[in-house]
Amino acid sequence: MVSQHSGLTNVAQWGRLYVRNDEAGKALSPIEMVNPGYYILFKNVESCGCLSKGHLQNKLTEVKMDLNLSREHEMLRDMVKEFADNELAPRALELDNKGEFFWEQVKRSGQLGLMGVINSKEYGGTAMGHLARMILIEEISRVYPPLGFFHQTGNLLMYAIETFGSDEQKKKYLPALCKGEKVSALALTEATGGSDPANMQTEATLEGDDYVVNGRKSWISAVDPADFVGFVARTGDKFSAFIVEKGTPGFEVTRREETIGLRSLPVNEFALTNCRLPKENLIGEEGRGLASALTTIATIGRTGAAGVGLGIARGCYEIALKFAKERVLYGKPIAALQAIQFMLTDMNVEIEAAKWLCYSTAWQLDQGKTSRDLAVDIARCKLYAVDVANRCAYKAVDIMGAYGLSPEYRVIGLLRDALELGVAAGSQEVMKITIGATITR
Amino acid sequence: MELEILVCIKQVPHPDHFSEIRLDVSSGRIIREGVPAIINPLDRNALEEGLRVKEKFPGRVTVISMGPPQAQKALEEALAMGADRGILLCDMAFAGADTLATANTLFYAIRKLGKFDLIYCGNETMDSGTAQVGPQLAELLDIPQVSGVQEVTFGDEKILEVKRALEHGYMKVRVKLPALLCVTRDINRPRLPTVQSIMEVAQKEMIIWKAKDIGAPPESIGLKGSPTCAAGVYEHKTGRRREIMQGSIEEKVQRTVARLKELGAI
Repeated sequence: MVSQHSGLTNVAQWGRLYVRNDEAGKALSPIEMVNPGYYILFKNVESCGCLSKGHLQNKLTEVKMDLNLSREHEMLRDMVKEFADNELAPRALELDNKGEFFWEQVKRSGQLGLMGVINSKEYGGTAMGHLARMILIEEISRVYPPLGFFHQTGNLLMYAIETFGSDEQKKKYLPALCKGEKVSALALTEATGGSDPANMQTEATLEGDDYVVNGRKSWISAVDPADFVGFVARTGDKFSAFIVEKGTPGFEVTRREETIGLRSLPVNEFALTNCRLPKENLIGEEGRGLASALTTIATIGRTGAAGVGLGIARGCYEIALKFAKERVLYGKPIAALQAIQFMLTDMNVEIEAAKWLCYSTAWQLDQGKTSRDLAVDIARCKLYAVDVANRCAYKAVDIMGAYGLSPEYRVIGLLRDALELGVAAGSQEVMKITIGATITR
Repeated sequence: MELEILVCIKQVPHPDHFSEIRLDVSSGRIIREGVPAIINPLDRNALEEGLRVKEKFPGRVTVISMGPPQAQKALEEALAMGADRGILLCDMAFAGADTLATANTLFYAIRKLGKFDLIYCGNETMDSGTAQVGPQLAELLDIPQVSGVQEVTFGDEKILEVKRALEHGYMKVRVKLPALLCVTRDINRPRLPTVQSIMEVAQKEMIIWKAKDIGAPPESIGLKGSPTCAAGVYEHKTGRRREIMQGSIEEKVQRTVARLKELGAI
C-alpha cells in the first residue's frame, strides 16, 4: 500500500515496510530505515508494489528486533476475537455438553479462511503463516478450546500434504480442507503409546500397485468426523506415511474414548484390516514417513497445543479478573484482597511469558527456520504454555470459589480442557527430555 | 447499472474501554487518545449495506473518514470487510469539528471525488449520538436523504424503496438516486473480514487528504467552522446511599415511602 501523503517527508507504513513519498505521492527514493527499531521483512516486499524486490534486497540487509505485530496480524486477531466472542462463546457450554463434533463451527472457520493459514494460496490457503495460526488458536481457545485444538489436529495432515505430498495430493485434498468443507486427522500413536513411535506395529506391504495395510491406531483426535486420515505404518524396516479416505474397505473407526476435557472433539481408535491403498496415497517417499510425521507433529502439533494452552490461560485469567472485580466480600470487591491479587498477578505474568515464548517460536518458523532448528524452542513453548494453562485454570477456580466449580462460569470446563493438553503432541516429559538433552549436551 | 457507493465511517472508542475516556474540563474536549478504538457499530451496518449493493450491481465502494492518523486503522478494517478504497481526511485544521464542520469536510471531499450514486452513513455514532452529520451532509450535497433506514429495496431507474423506522411503526418511502441513507442496526448483520480479505488490504488504495487537498475554506471546517460551543463539561458521578428500615413489614414500607417523599424521589 502506498498512501498518497502530501508532505515531503511523510512515511507510508505498511507492515514493516517504509516508503518515502514526494508531494505527489510518488516513491522518492529507495526504502530506508526510518526508525532504527524497525526492520523490513523481504517476504512483505511484494505487497508494496512500488519498487522491485531485487532493488530492496540490495538496499536492505540489516535485521533488527521488532516486537510489534504486523497490521495484518492485528486485524486477524480482531476478527477472530469477534468470531469467538459473538459466535463461539454463547454456544460453548451447549457444545461441550452435547459432546458432538462441531461441524458448523469448523465450516465457519473455513469460510473465514482460518483453516488454511499455513497452506499456500495455490491450494486454497492464505499462506499467512505460523504466527497467524498461533494467534487464531489462542483467540479461539480463550473461549472454546475444542475448536482451537481442532486447529491443531486438523492442520497436521494439511501441513504434511503441503510439505511432503505430491502435486496431485495437494490438488485433491487441500482446497476442501482449507474451506472447512472436509476435515482430516493424522495418526501415529498406537496402543503401546505415542512417545515411542519406532515400536509401532501397523504394517503396509506392497502387493502389485497397492499397499495392503493391517494395524490399529489409538487415541487419535477427530478420526470419526474425518474425511481423510493420514497415518504412519511400518514398510519393511522403515516407516511410511499414507492417506486413507473415509469409506475405504478395511478402514473402520472402532472406538470413541471417553475424555474428561475437549469433550466435543472425538478421540478415536481405528483399525486397518487388509485395507488396500493405491500407491498414490503414499505421502512423500517410501521409508521417510516417520521423519515426515515427527516434523509435522513438532511444527504443527506442539505449537498448536501451546496456542491452545495460551488461550485457555487467557480465558481463565479474564473470567477470574472480571469475577474478582465484581464479587463483593466484606464490603469491597475481592480484587482488593492481596491474596486474590497475588493469584491474578501470577497468572498475568505467566501468560505474558508464555505468549512471547509462543510468538517468538511461531515467528521463527515464519522466517524459514525448521522444527529441527527450533526443537528446543518448540518444546519450551509447548511445555510452558500448557503448564501455565493448568496453573491459571486452578487459580481461576480458587478465586471463584463455588462459582468456579459451576460449568456455567466456564473455568471448570477450561480446567478440564487444560488437563488434556499435557499428553497431546508429545507429553510434557518428552518436552523436558528434548530440552534437557540439548542443554546438557 | 454501475454504482459509485460512498460509506462515511467514524472511529469511536471501544465500548469495553469507555471507563478510560477522560474529559478535558478546560477545553470541553473528550480525550480519546490511547483508548482502543473501533468502527462506529452503525457505520459497519452502513458499510455492510454498501457491500451488499455491490454484490448485486457492479460498482465500487469507497469508505471515507475524517479523523486523526490512527483513524486509518478503521479504514483498513473497512477495506478488510470488502471496501475497494479508503479516504482519510486528516489535518489539524479539521480538529475540534462539531457536526456541521464535519459535514462540511465530508462535503468538500465528496465534491472532489465527483460522481456518486449512494451515500451510506450510520444513523448516529456511539460516542456522540447526535444523528446530525448524515442529514447535514445530504443538505450540503443537495440530495434526498432518509434516516432510520431498516430496509432498502432496489427498483428500476435508480429508485429505491426504503423502510424507515418510526417510534411506533415504520414508514415506506421512495427515493431517487443519488441519495444519502442513514441506517439502523436492524438493516443487516455486518460481516466479519476473512483472512483472504485481510491479506488483500495491502493492495488496495488508501488516499490521505488534507484541508488544502479538498479545497475546504478554513472558516468552514474544524473549530472555526463549528457553531456548537460547549458551555462546560463535568464528570457525572452517581453516589449511592443506603439506609436500613427497622420494624414490621408495614412499618418498613411506610417509613420507606415517607423517606423517599422527603428526598423528593417520589
